[in-house]
Amino acid sequence: MTRAVRERPQGAAIARRVAGHIGRGLVMIWVVATISFFIIREIPGDPVQGMYETLLQKGMSPDQAERATAVLYGFLPTGSLWHQYVDYMWSLLHLDLGQSLSTPGVKVTSLIGSAAQWTVLPVLAGTLLSFLLGVTMGVYAAIKRSGKLGDLLALSGSLLHGVPVYVIGLLLTAIFTTLWPILPAGGPVDVAYVPGFNAGYIGSLVYHAVLPVATYTLASYGGWILAMKSNVVAVLGDDFILAAELRGLRRGFVFRYLARNAILPLFTILALSIGMLFGGSIFIEEIFNYPGLGLLLVNSISTRDYALMGGAFLVITVGIVVANIVADLLYTAIDPRVRSGETA
Amino acid sequence: MSRDSAAAPGVRIRGLTVVYKTPAGELPAVSGVDLTLAPGTITGVVGESGSGKSTLALSLLNAVQPPGRISAGSVEIDGLGDVLALGGEELRRARGRKVGYVFQAAQNSLNPLKTIGKQLLDLGRSHDVDDLRELVRDAKGLLARMGLDGARVLDSHQHELSGGMRQRVGIMLALVLNAQVVVLDEPTTALDMITQATILRIIREVHEERALTTLVITHDVGAVAEVADSLAVMYGGRVVEHGPIAEVLGGPRHPYTQGLIRAIPRLSGDISLARALPGRPPTLGTLPVAGCVFRERCDRRMEICDTVEPEPVTHDGRTVSCHATGRPSPAVKRREYA
Repeated sequence: MTRAVRERPQGAAIARRVAGHIGRGLVMIWVVATISFFIIREIPGDPVQGMYETLLQKGMSPDQAERATAVLYGFLPTGSLWHQYVDYMWSLLHLDLGQSLSTPGVKVTSLIGSAAQWTVLPVLAGTLLSFLLGVTMGVYAAIKRSGKLGDLLALSGSLLHGVPVYVIGLLLTAIFTTLWPILPAGGPVDVAYVPGFNAGYIGSLVYHAVLPVATYTLASYGGWILAMKSNVVAVLGDDFILAAELRGLRRGFVFRYLARNAILPLFTILALSIGMLFGGSIFIEEIFNYPGLGLLLVNSISTRDYALMGGAFLVITVGIVVANIVADLLYTAIDPRVRSGETA
Repeated sequence: MSRDSAAAPGVRIRGLTVVYKTPAGELPAVSGVDLTLAPGTITGVVGESGSGKSTLALSLLNAVQPPGRISAGSVEIDGLGDVLALGGEELRRARGRKVGYVFQAAQNSLNPLKTIGKQLLDLGRSHDVDDLRELVRDAKGLLARMGLDGARVLDSHQHELSGGMRQRVGIMLALVLNAQVVVLDEPTTALDMITQATILRIIREVHEERALTTLVITHDVGAVAEVADSLAVMYGGRVVEHGPIAEVLGGPRHPYTQGLIRAIPRLSGDISLARALPGRPPTLGTLPVAGCVFRERCDRRMEICDTVEPEPVTHDGRTVSCHATGRPSPAVKRREYA
């Protein structure tokens, strides 16, 4: 149509922006890693000491107990806190989170990796589904807000928003596994299938994921529909919508103007909640027996597994930092006002 | 630019009544308004806030927003028929294509997320414009006509434009589809004096070049005096006086018009000569049900005013709705407008 008359911030400016974000993100990760390192080590209870004392109580001699503990964990903590900190940071630079204490001999990264697969996909699916559903219904609730349908939709949002996720989860479990048993009660997959890229295994995965995903979707749907409804109502009152109608724009165009402007603020929240998903959802994982990140974190705290705790916190931090960066870049791409604010 | 040189359409508003739903029932914001816009003229409508002038303007596009509702009357536009009888697609096509509407400058009448050019294309596609390139050329021509760099403006977002520029973009969007009737709602409100003068000059010039029939809504008597051919004064949802602008401002007959003009401070001379109209403008709820709506603030109130609503009486091309206008009125001639 029209040639770009002025230069928009392109290439170099965007690269500079991304680099700035990554730099700040790394600093943030370092700060969180440091703080959690020290806090974790100040928690009362020392697992190695605990094991040593248990062995003593079983009648071992102190020498024997110390050797047995060393064999069990593969090492004995000896260095000072500062020494440990430097070691920890050094391994962190090599993406090494150390070894788990509660499951000796297993790397923290592999524990987190295997837990993540049971968290990321279901929670991601639930987040995206609830977002799509909530946003669509929010638009309808806003447009039909003076009618019965609008009232009903808004009511569904308020109700579901108020019900805690574990109540929804238990209700769904009771309904679909006991009253009307069509779905599996728990576990992420049927053990009869060989893990791999085959129809049976994947089908079983999906089949088992229905309830957790539905629970997650219903639990977050209320927030989305309420937020979207109030955004749409606000934009409906904006003059440019009436102006577009008075210029005789087709309904489709007016609707797109409305939806795009209303959905904008929700993208930040969406990006952040996707970042948060690395914290897992302890209730859902507990109810549906998913060995995900939430359970991993809780177990690591109760067993004082320093390395695993630190790793789990770090993963959450990285998730949120990355989500923030993505949200900011996304905003730059979709809101021209942010774009030009940066050139000024 | 080639324009079909069809004569400007006339607009006849008859018995227009618009009611708003309130907790106290449906109350009229505009009641029984008759107003004729002569083809090719600029008609100014002045009135205080709440006098029903914006509602009147929206009625020309059959676009009164809920809780408002047009309950009676007709708006006949030559070549279009009764706008109030239109609906659905017919009405949508008439908007923009036949009747252009320009919003108040300070209000944001543009989508903040799209460039002006993209919104122009949306407009063209909505009205099945075959040659979008020509539409863009026309738009650039209009913008250039108003002293803007068309290419640059079309490539801008709303927030990159000043209030005066946005207002010119609004005028461009109202005219680019060759609408022959143009409604401007408070076109200069919230603009600085210099920009106001520029916009008013542009309105006048474009109006003459394109043979339009134009309605300018404003509360600024000074602004409308610059551009309009005739002036309608609204009070409490009625047109209380209507006539050629020089005559209405030079020799106002309705007591409200007289009060309005007395209230304007003069640039030269004693500021204390300006007198505010006593009392407050009526709201929907305080509007008297029977009799003259202005009687509470009127200095020539008579017994009949309490019970009988004055009928509009046309004399010498001037229409006045007042029981007292038969009597000689105290002269409030203002030399600026005479």
